[in-house]
Amino acid sequence: MERYTEKIRERARDLLESGKVDVFIGYSKGSVPMMNRPALIREPREVNKLLWDNHCALNLCNYLTKRTEKIGIIANGCNSRNIVTHILENQIKREQLYIVGIPCEGMVDHRAVARAVGQRDILAVEGLGEEFLVKGKDFEERFTKQTFLQRNCVTCRHHNPVIYDEMIGEPVEEGELPNGYADVEAIEGMSSDKKWAFFAQLISRCIRCYACRNACPLCYCPTCFVDESKPQWVGKSSDPTDTMTFHLLRAYHCAGRCTDCGACERVCPVGISMRQFTRKLNKDGETFFSWEAGLTLEKRPPLDTYRPDDYNDFIK
Amino acid sequence: MSGKPGNFSAEILKRPRFVDVEKCIACGACAEKCPKKVDDAYNQNLIKRKAIYVEYPQAVPLKYAIDKDHCIFFEKGKCRACEKFCPSKAINFDDKEEHLNLKVGAVILAPGFRAYNPAGDDTFKYGRLPNVVTSMEFERILSATGPSQGHIRRPSDQKSPKKIAWLQCVGSRDVHRAAHGYCSSVCCMYAVKEAVIAKEHAGGDLDCAIFYMDMRSHGKDFERYYNDAKEKHGIRFIRSRVPTIEPVDDTGDLILPHVNEAGEVEEERFDMVVLSVGMETTPEVARLARNLDIDLTEGRFCRTDTFHPVRSSRPGVFVCGAFQGTKDIPQSVIEASSAAAEAEVLLSAARNTETRRKKEILERREGNKTPRIGVFVCHCGINIGGVVDVPAVRDYAATLPFVEFVTDNLFTCSTDTQDTISRVIREKALNRIVVAACTPKTHEPLFQETLVSAGLNRYVFEMTNIRNQDSWVHKDAPDKATEKAKDLVRMAVAKAALMSPLEEAEVDVNRRAVVVGGGVSGMAASKALSGQGYQVTLVEREATLGGQALNLFRTWRGEDIQENLAAMVKSVESDPLIDVCLNTELGQVEGFVGNFKTTLTCKGQEHVVDHGVTILATGAKEFKPEEYLYGKDPRVVTHLELDRKFMNHDQGLKSVKAAVFIQCVGSREPQRPYCSRVCCTHAIESALYLKKINPDAEIFVLNREIRTYGEREYLYREARLAGIVFIRFSLETKPKVFVDGADLKVEVPDAALGHSVGIKADLLALATAIVPYKDEKLARFFKVPMNEDGFFVEAHAKLGPSEFASDGVFLCGMAHYPKPIDEALAQGQAAASRAVTLLSREKIRVSGTVAYVNPAVCSSCGVCVEVCPYSAPSFIEKGPFSGKAEINPVLCKGCGLCVSSCRSGALNLKGFEEGQIMAMINEV
Amino acid sequence: MSDWEPKITAFLCNWCSYGAADLAGVSRLQYPPYFRVIRVPCSARISPKFILSAFRHGADGVWVSG
Repeated sequence: MERYTEKIRERARDLLESGKVDVFIGYSKGSVPMMNRPALIREPREVNKLLWDNHCALNLCNYLTKRTEKIGIIANGCNSRNIVTHILENQIKREQLYIVGIPCEGMVDHRAVARAVGQRDILAVEGLGEEFLVKGKDFEERFTKQTFLQRNCVTCRHHNPVIYDEMIGEPVEEGELPNGYADVEAIEGMSSDKKWAFFAQLISRCIRCYACRNACPLCYCPTCFVDESKPQWVGKSSDPTDTMTFHLLRAYHCAGRCTDCGACERVCPVGISMRQFTRKLNKDGETFFSWEAGLTLEKRPPLDTYRPDDYNDFIK
Repeated sequence: MSGKPGNFSAEILKRPRFVDVEKCIACGACAEKCPKKVDDAYNQNLIKRKAIYVEYPQAVPLKYAIDKDHCIFFEKGKCRACEKFCPSKAINFDDKEEHLNLKVGAVILAPGFRAYNPAGDDTFKYGRLPNVVTSMEFERILSATGPSQGHIRRPSDQKSPKKIAWLQCVGSRDVHRAAHGYCSSVCCMYAVKEAVIAKEHAGGDLDCAIFYMDMRSHGKDFERYYNDAKEKHGIRFIRSRVPTIEPVDDTGDLILPHVNEAGEVEEERFDMVVLSVGMETTPEVARLARNLDIDLTEGRFCRTDTFHPVRSSRPGVFVCGAFQGTKDIPQSVIEASSAAAEAEVLLSAARNTETRRKKEILERREGNKTPRIGVFVCHCGINIGGVVDVPAVRDYAATLPFVEFVTDNLFTCSTDTQDTISRVIREKALNRIVVAACTPKTHEPLFQETLVSAGLNRYVFEMTNIRNQDSWVHKDAPDKATEKAKDLVRMAVAKAALMSPLEEAEVDVNRRAVVVGGGVSGMAASKALSGQGYQVTLVEREATLGGQALNLFRTWRGEDIQENLAAMVKSVESDPLIDVCLNTELGQVEGFVGNFKTTLTCKGQEHVVDHGVTILATGAKEFKPEEYLYGKDPRVVTHLELDRKFMNHDQGLKSVKAAVFIQCVGSREPQRPYCSRVCCTHAIESALYLKKINPDAEIFVLNREIRTYGEREYLYREARLAGIVFIRFSLETKPKVFVDGADLKVEVPDAALGHSVGIKADLLALATAIVPYKDEKLARFFKVPMNEDGFFVEAHAKLGPSEFASDGVFLCGMAHYPKPIDEALAQGQAAASRAVTLLSREKIRVSGTVAYVNPAVCSSCGVCVEVCPYSAPSFIEKGPFSGKAEINPVLCKGCGLCVSSCRSGALNLKGFEEGQIMAMINEV
Repeated sequence: MSDWEPKITAFLCNWCSYGAADLAGVSRLQYPPYFRVIRVPCSARISPKFILSAFRHGADGVWVSG
């Protein structure tokens, strides 16, 4: 994976130097291991900050919203699908973008790694192809990447970008998964009481920091409903009712739009798996509308569409 | 009736109802006290009503009437219970018959039909076997407001049936006894509908079987419904005429013997049988027609002709609905507008001559001040007061925030109370009004007028329903009903406190119409508009007017189409108000209702037309098939090509020894699952004509079903009597056409004979489908939807067939659905009539209940623009808020879909603001 | 359970269900007095926010029809 870093830098330099783009958006090393951060590079001399490794899991599309300059951007499957959604929803124009596509082989789940080393302080993590090396003050451990993938990467069906101006590297094979929604089905099978208990438990640790919302490229509204005061839809406290209201509404706002990029879960400081909400809606989108978000510029998401001749019987 | 068109004198007999409609508040106290029970004709006599009654709950006006023939007072001279208990003194036993003499310019006959009564027909033993019911009775049995609240019960023992059979063509397509030779056009579809609904009501284990001759699902989307009934709902369709119904001892069950398609006799037992009875003109209507000197057809319908589908034989007298011929709701509604258009043309000089203007009262600027709410709680006689503790509700209201005045009234709607409200508003400087009474659906406008007369904006008003939705439905729980009334008042007050005055947007109307498409329907629309003095730009992409009618020979009534069409084209071309643009297409469209700006492109030249309304009459075309050797053998032709031969007096037709017609070529197939409606009649008409010019020709019509609806059925009968052979095939057993040496051979399996029939044909006419143009560009220009088949989608399948949901855009002709000339023409006139509802106004004033955007919070995501069915939202193009959404209040219908879809909270709906609804939710 | 009195917030479309509730009254159909109607111009007006808000304000059930 790391083999793409050089290529990215090269392309970023060319694009900036030729004036094709005003800014290049990619990833750079964060201050904490496994937490790469987005980098907005404006000067060719800064391109060496850019990199590509197992920890490029924030969704860069978040940094495109309402920009007016010409932008170069790295796009793997997730990023590209959100770029599509961003274009559809008028948050950026296609002609502003120069999309450098990159095949993605999945990102490492930083929490799983921390657990694996018994929450000891990690000073560095180095990729070694199929494996990676975790270094601490007085330890070094090797892990196999495949067993430490982020959960959304395990069920990913779109590793390759769906929209790009050029590709770095050959597309990876998209393996069809036997059942990517086994977890959702398990919840669907629960009784109402059990479901309620499940979700109440799921969000019980939520501190309402809104990191999930801020990391989500879909949440670009100038004012979020949680911040509205006239009328006030949601209380500001972490009362369970308010917290549930927030999570349910946030999920509904993502219905038909979520690409399951996992940014929300990745940034959650208390480790809530809020994808359990959005994945149910993604599954319904597939079942009822044959729809996966961000795959086409031709159609708006099903819940954005009004058709008097809707072919779905359940809507008539 | 005497006089001439434009100046008739009509004598009208108005029967007394013995109830003053001005005073009656439809509280129902009279009916509750009335001691006389009478068979309820509306419910097909399945249950009883009282001698004082409303015919059905949705009646307009919702006012009671006394049935004189059954009233005890009229029978015996005493009782008067209704009078005693009426809280508003509305009963008037002295009401008399009135003879009204009306001066009118035009007359429209819409007397409708009655259902055929099968009692006189021994076949069905209707009236003797209790579980044999008519479809009209079954409609009531299925209805939630019917005798069994929609639970299906059979009459003999009230058991839920497990097997129901429908028998089609009862009284129709039958030349025996008192039955009728015509097809009633609607029974196939209503039977399918009843079976589907019955299955939905009864759940999975109900078995429904429909015994039919030809399934006539020739209306828009009907074929799909029929397919779904078979495939999804599992309804059985049995092609057989049932000769008799036999009871099974005293079980109530019924045996239906019938001959199956293979010719064998079968018997099947059912719990209940529904007779699909047809339509007929009543003797009273026939008498009326005689009095008015109007010609009737063989089937006793009003005689009209193809090119004047709603004109009776008497000038100035128009007709619509089932009296014009059997038909369903959409076609009735189309004809109603068409008849209106004819009358409008006749009377256009008199338009607005009898209009009275209301005095305008200046609105006080009260709305934005601190709320001062007045609450009026109604007793509605004893209707509310008899259950709800009205004084307690009133006193409770006085404790609510911002409430400055409360009172209770015996009748809040009475004229004197309006004066009181008006006075109190001024005296107490009230600026928000809440009325707790009956339903806003009937009374909101009345109270709003009172507000206006007191100088308030009509929108600072909230009504809450403590009668229909409280006292009437919680009679046995007065305490709970009072509690509920308090809650409802609290909710209404909470909303009222957040109300502000609303403005009603106005827009000027450009009085010109653009009609797109110069076929029969487009020309009819243009003439109906120009006849009323409106200017029309008629756009036709071809070099001549006439459309598909140019290719047609004769109508089913035998009228010469080219002769009539030429006259029509001539009258359009010579009309000074119609600007005909040939070889012209639409290049660009901007604007909206009242103010469209359309760029027309003609041979590279562009010019812009400003217009207020648009009528789309873009038609459809003949499908060119790839099967049955079409295009490969010159003997194989389409219907239009055969018509051309007729028109050219093709001598070759005289030497034809055998001619074959194949129906449903490209229609009713999986890729095009709709019926093209006209081809059965067309084929038979052509076959008969061929027989006339070449009596020795053997003629075969290979069909899947013959759909000669209405009086077209006579033609089918005539064809059979003329020796034309009809052979049925199915989608699985389509005919085979091949060349054998020099011969063109057609082979088709005949179920009745049990083997294939081979025919050596000299002529093979294919009834190819009618396919729409699927003009996506046009659909985009006017933001109008198309269905999967490519036909435009009207505002409402039944009630708005000639208009789009988008204001100011109308449709007619085959762009809507395949149809014959008379129907296309009627719809052209209908679209014009609908358009005149806008063109006749100088300004369009719209409701204040519209959506609006706060651009500062808008995220430009475009959901509102996408979801709105009326194209009201769009993006701002210039200025600081460029790219944000805005709402055109003229197009907005106030449904709130955009508001609830807006994630950013930038949208809101005036009159139903987020904050107002939330305030109500808080107060529940 | 039999004396439990649920609180139901009902959003009824002005053009259909609200009219139907009126007709139920005209027909004097009796039903339990536990729901409170909020008239809306169309069921399309119902935002998920309303439904959640109704629950937040203590509704035991929310009824949306149109």
